Amino acid sequence: MTVTAAPAGRPDVELRLPADGAYVSVLRTATAGLAARLDFTLDDIEDLRMCVGEASAIVLAQADQGADLTAAFWLRPDSLTVTVAAGAADPQRPDEDDFAWQVLTTLASDASVSVEPGEVKVTLAVAATPLGAGR
Amino acid sequence: MVDEPTPHTQPPPDAEDVPEPVAIEEVYAATPAGAPTHDSTHGGTEDGTDAAKADQQATRAAAVEAMRRRSAELFGVRADPDSTEAERYTAREELVHLHLPLVEHCARRFRNRGEPFEDLVQVGTIGLLKSIDRFDSERGVEFSTYATPTIIGEIKRHFRDKGWAIRVPRRLQELRMQITSTTAELTQQLGRSPTPRELAESIGCTVEEIVEGLESGNAYSTLSLDAGDDSDDGAATMLDAIGVEDESIAQVEVRESIKPLLAGLEPREKKILLLRFFRNMTQSQIAEEIGVSQMHVSRLLTRTLTQLREGLEDQG
Repeated sequence: MTVTAAPAGRPDVELRLPADGAYVSVLRTATAGLAARLDFTLDDIEDLRMCVGEASAIVLAQADQGADLTAAFWLRPDSLTVTVAAGAADPQRPDEDDFAWQVLTTLASDASVSVEPGEVKVTLAVAATPLGAGR
Repeated sequence: MVDEPTPHTQPPPDAEDVPEPVAIEEVYAATPAGAPTHDSTHGGTEDGTDAAKADQQATRAAAVEAMRRRSAELFGVRADPDSTEAERYTAREELVHLHLPLVEHCARRFRNRGEPFEDLVQVGTIGLLKSIDRFDSERGVEFSTYATPTIIGEIKRHFRDKGWAIRVPRRLQELRMQITSTTAELTQQLGRSPTPRELAESIGCTVEEIVEGLESGNAYSTLSLDAGDDSDDGAATMLDAIGVEDESIAQVEVRESIKPLLAGLEPREKKILLLRFFRNMTQSQIAEEIGVSQMHVSRLLTRTLTQLREGLEDQG
């Protein structure tokens, strides 16, 4: 697992939700909306949506009862970096064979997990397909 | 429900629902009751000669003609004020059976869209019943021409009302469909998937609406991941399609390496192996067959097998 650092500086968008599976769809939708405004292609948007969903799955599995799920977005013209984090008393690194992790690393251009006492955080970046590309 | 009052009482539905004319011969002919699909008329016997083809066509045309006549007759019975209730009922029954291939034909056009073929035939049949009840042979139109839009309309209505797991406003359903078709087009043009902005420009709405439309698409199907792909034969689900490790493939190598070793065995040893492992005979049966004692067979077998095993290990 490579360590991807979130871009320095303040995130452009932050979102705080209850750490509960029911709210993941809100996060996915918000992510898709942001990516649409960045002029990502539909395929990229779909990838991002799945990435965020899987990142949430990894984070939520460890989150404490009643914790917050926080997402931060860094918007760049050619890429979108997202961190998904939640409070977790004693977080473990996810297994590399974990389904969610496999999906995440396949779809994202870059992904990493950081676990420290009290917090589990997944950082992922998806690069936009250059619009001139194709064929 | 944001639906406009559905054309329950008055078919033919809106113009966009009117499909291209149906080739009646294609639909009815060569579909004797019970024959599975008319797809099979394509394959089948390839006698190829023009005469045979013409012949086939003639029989087909005759069958269609017979169907038409019978259909007109039955509609006559239904229209006749002198017919009894029972006669009308029987005529209706027979008409349904007569025109069922038309429903199947229409339903087949909606295959692979996530709804079971049988369900489509069912709702299509409702459309057929409605058309039979309302058809007026005096107007001089072919029944299939009259019924097809109603049947298709009924099937489309099924998709609209039942296909969506969560009720989505019709405006969004339609936008969703537009997005799907435009996406396909733009993907061809651009050689990559389009961006929401490009879609919005092409459809003529805002990026916000596109995002909304995309989102609504997620409500369309909540089918299990394990749901089948709903081709005609159905049944096969994804789990069925996932492979398992094929042990015989792993043994290919072993089999290949054991070949020369087997070839090097003496004829009698070879025969014992054959009888034991391919004819599944017991050691005493083998003993009888070869004319030695069972103990001897046992010893020979053990020795041969050890020899083979060692041979394999040496190679490895």
